[in-house]
Amino acid sequence: MTEQIDQALSRTYDAGFISDIESETFAAELNEDVIRRISAMKNEPDWMLEWRLRAYQNWLTMTEPEWAHVHYPKINYQAISYYSAPKSMKDKPKSLDEVDPELLRVYEKLGIPLYEQEMLAGVAVDVVFDSVSVVTTFREKLQEAGVIFCPISEAIQTYPELVKKYLGSVVPRSDNYFAALNSAVFTDGSFVYIPKGVRCPMELSTYFRINEQNTGQFERTLIIADEGSFVSYLEGCTAPQRDENQLHAAVVELIAMDDAQIKYSTVQNWYPGDEHGKGGIYNFVTKRALCHTNAKVSWTQVETGSAITWKYPSCILKGDNSVGEFYSVALTRGRQQADTGTKMIHLGKNTKSTIIAKGISAGHSNNTYRGLVHMGPKADGARNFTQCDSLLIGDLCGAHTFPYIESRNPSAKVEHEATTSKVGDDQLFLCQQRGLDAEKAVSMIVNGFCKAVFKELPMEFAVEAGKLLEISLEGSVG
Amino acid sequence: MLTIKNLHASVEQKNILNGLNLSIKQGEVHAIMGPNGAGKSTLGYVLSGRDGYQVTDGEVDFQGNNLLELDVEQRARHGLFLAFQYPVEIPGVSNMELMKESVNAVRQHRAETPLTAAEFLKKAKAACQQVQLPLEFLKRGINEGFSGGEKKRNEIMQMILLEPSLCILDESDSGLDVDALQIVANGVNSQRDGKRSFIVITHYQRLLDFIEPDFVHILANGKIVKTGDAALAKQIEKEGYAFLGLDNSAEASA
Amino acid sequence: MTWLQQVIDRGQQIDDWLSPLRLQAIETLQQAAWPTRRTESWKYTSLAALEQQQLRLAQPATPPAEPPQTAIPGLNSLDLLFVNGVLQTDISQLPLAAGLQLHTLRSASAIQRVITTSMYAQVKPQRHLFGLVNDVLANEVLFIDIAHDSHIEQPIRIISRVSEGQESHHRVLVRVGDRATVTIIEQTQSEHASFSTGFTEIELGEQAKLEHYRLVMHTRQAIYFGGCHICLHDKAELNSTMLGYGSELSRTDIDIMHNGQHARAKLNAIYLLGESEHFDLHSTIEHAKPHGSTEENVRGIVGDKANAVFNGRIHIHRGAQKTQAALQNRNLLLSRRGQINTKPELEIYADDVQCAHGATVAEIAEEALYYLRTRGICRSKALIMLNFGFIQELINQMPNPLLAQWLEPQLRARFKEMEVR
Repeated sequence: MTEQIDQALSRTYDAGFISDIESETFAAELNEDVIRRISAMKNEPDWMLEWRLRAYQNWLTMTEPEWAHVHYPKINYQAISYYSAPKSMKDKPKSLDEVDPELLRVYEKLGIPLYEQEMLAGVAVDVVFDSVSVVTTFREKLQEAGVIFCPISEAIQTYPELVKKYLGSVVPRSDNYFAALNSAVFTDGSFVYIPKGVRCPMELSTYFRINEQNTGQFERTLIIADEGSFVSYLEGCTAPQRDENQLHAAVVELIAMDDAQIKYSTVQNWYPGDEHGKGGIYNFVTKRALCHTNAKVSWTQVETGSAITWKYPSCILKGDNSVGEFYSVALTRGRQQADTGTKMIHLGKNTKSTIIAKGISAGHSNNTYRGLVHMGPKADGARNFTQCDSLLIGDLCGAHTFPYIESRNPSAKVEHEATTSKVGDDQLFLCQQRGLDAEKAVSMIVNGFCKAVFKELPMEFAVEAGKLLEISLEGSVG
Repeated sequence: MLTIKNLHASVEQKNILNGLNLSIKQGEVHAIMGPNGAGKSTLGYVLSGRDGYQVTDGEVDFQGNNLLELDVEQRARHGLFLAFQYPVEIPGVSNMELMKESVNAVRQHRAETPLTAAEFLKKAKAACQQVQLPLEFLKRGINEGFSGGEKKRNEIMQMILLEPSLCILDESDSGLDVDALQIVANGVNSQRDGKRSFIVITHYQRLLDFIEPDFVHILANGKIVKTGDAALAKQIEKEGYAFLGLDNSAEASA
Repeated sequence: MTWLQQVIDRGQQIDDWLSPLRLQAIETLQQAAWPTRRTESWKYTSLAALEQQQLRLAQPATPPAEPPQTAIPGLNSLDLLFVNGVLQTDISQLPLAAGLQLHTLRSASAIQRVITTSMYAQVKPQRHLFGLVNDVLANEVLFIDIAHDSHIEQPIRIISRVSEGQESHHRVLVRVGDRATVTIIEQTQSEHASFSTGFTEIELGEQAKLEHYRLVMHTRQAIYFGGCHICLHDKAELNSTMLGYGSELSRTDIDIMHNGQHARAKLNAIYLLGESEHFDLHSTIEHAKPHGSTEENVRGIVGDKANAVFNGRIHIHRGAQKTQAALQNRNLLLSRRGQINTKPELEIYADDVQCAHGATVAEIAEEALYYLRTRGICRSKALIMLNFGFIQELINQMPNPLLAQWLEPQLRARFKEMEVR
């Protein structure tokens, strides 16, 4: 039975094709000069360059974190190229018609049609290819509502006040090793501003794609939801199948002002490496939200890709009555390693957080939930509920749970529960006896296991996530 | 003793009691019957002052006091006792510890001297015997690991010890076999002294074979829709709630 | 000179038949990094209080003028008393039950030395820094040997006391033979500015049964590092209760290794902290073999400016199928100035297992509170009853009622003081 499950799990990586697009790529090295060149390529103002250089100085004094339950050879940061852009982007296209058709084909292949008339109505997309934003759709329509949705490189030029004020305000330059690196070398990413009281008229979405060999991707996302506004933002990631490991160290900062709501969803499907653990993306990401009074931030993530995932989307619940949520499905197989979870930092009164984390481990993989719930001395009446469930498929994988709970307030309440289970032979037998094949049965059981998280995804993504999981469990069952 | 006027109450914004009127005199036994979801248990919770049960309108007078203004424990000390349908288990706090505190809190309220350990033990023993509860149950955690029947008997034991003036029995018969029912009923009847009043909330008529009520009220949709004597209970036993124009399906599924 | 260097220097001067093992520990210590707040297992426990201390050379112990009152009413136990790390009880004069043997560093025969050497620092070879310090400095080793099939009725009680300004380092080794049964009560305490380490290593043979208590009652300025490492063989059964008070710096490591199949472990732990007390409990349950079961219940109440640290790790090794392991940690925080830091951990490498853990802080059982109030008890009084009931539940589970009766009023008194402040 286990063999059938293993087979079911040994699927190939659909997004693993390499696109032949002429690129302009920096030589692999990291020093101040590289940072100056990135900044120059982006035509950045001096303050931005200064900021990057200070981050770089911070980074030089820091050491790579070793506490996560992941193992990988030392990364040679001098062997990475920190900038790569399709040549055709040199004269930035004004509209889709000017975009290199080869590039558009890449996204079509990924199932992301960029022509607005072909798209799901109500989703605006920013597309980041290696180090640059390729195109952002529906910009005019969004502008009508006063919503700013553009590449961050453009925001630095067009909205310098907003960027200056908020960049690094949630994840400081020296927050951690990878965040410092990102702050020094970030190339592109999305910028979103929702004005006061505006409910963003459509879902916003960014697709990230690493294409070039030996490049790292360091995108930076900044979302500001002004008072009483609402936005739902989706992010998807893929990369080609390559033999060497590639580094992805992104930083995402969310600011939810008073009464604002941000819903941030991720479907992460970076290349996970082959079954022997060769290749794959190192996904070392810092995501954090700052919640003001009555604000609410929901993080929902479906993590199926990457050789290593190191990621803790967090909420600083600073304002009274603010709410943080974290819903996660992490599936590891082959030799994948995931160490992911969240931090809920309760500072304000009556703040609430909910954490639902589902880990599925198969093959030789290791899947770790790591979370922190902190109740500060002023967090009167704060509440947290955490539920972590692990599903083990086969006896060669590992499932781990490391919740940190820190309480400094007698009226705060924290509840953490974790369980572990397996896809039981009896469950499989029952499904098969009812006429399902093993593959479908496993997929059904896993889907049921993840239900509580999937229902938090926006409709467009829920379908995608379900499919992704199904593909992950797809294969020949003899 | 107790006068309820136009009582409206809600739980989580849902209206459960919708203008309930009830008047109980000293020494009377009132049975409250009704289909599931009629608000029977809610009545007990509202009268005892449970958090989350919002009184939105109406008045309740209990022996000359505005009951709704009193805290949960003050109501208890004034002589209101609720025997729970599903008594909570509190491991680590013994029955004995609870009852000692409880009896003396009530006595203090009545300006009586606290019982000595020996006096208390004597009373506690007698109460346990009355409901045929082994004495070792006093030492155990409150309801900890008790069977359904033992929990119900434990509630009656507590009632006997506390000597309340108004006893609300919330489905004290549910889940009991005939023998256990007899024990619970005997415990209750032993406390009928012409002064003490009772509200007996029940789903079935069968408890009323053992505890004869003076009045039977039918509670439906948060109101008393019909009042009669013991014969009304018998009629319901035979015909269900349908003859009152009430949905009987809840009854059937119970 | 660093604190650690002083330990090493002193250890190098000790010359006895354990010296080869002490030197091994010194070698490891020389490589060891001094734990800081960035060291994962010392994240919430600062060693600052220790760093300020000068290591004193252990004085030949002078028993305190007044021998401490130690008896537990009604309990006929075989008492072994350490004062400042020196065994005060003359074991040669003790009437020992058949199947029970005791020896010490000085009294061990050649064979006993071999057995001791085979166990010393072996039950849990990967120990933390202070386990190694104890390896180096232990000036007394008590070896308790229980023969196969022996049922030792009389509980063995090991008491350690440390007086003002003193140091104490002792080691206890216990070997429980196959199918043997025994009760061991370990009680360690000091109300003074003192520094002590005390570690125990226990091998539990096939189908052996151990009823075990570890009462860590160091308070005030006492600095204490201790631990108990227990190895279970096939079908062994352990029922252990741990109690912790807090002090200036107090850390206890309980390690249970399932090294045989079908072994069963039950571990209950209570901590009750007030004032500025610190208490750190790390428990590690290793399931290395299939079909084992562990049930762990840890409860703590923290008042005033106290700091509680709990780390409860359950590690299921590859192949340890059909393991059942559950850990529950519940905490009550009574004060705004206190803190609770808890981390239950599951690390699982086998799929056919049932494992769960849970941790809660400051739960108010609203339903229980309401129930007590309907019985006429005011809110504040009801909260006290429920809070202590939370601890009482574990006291009630102690298999030895005499011990429970002796402890309960002490805990109640301690709890009352916590409430007042």
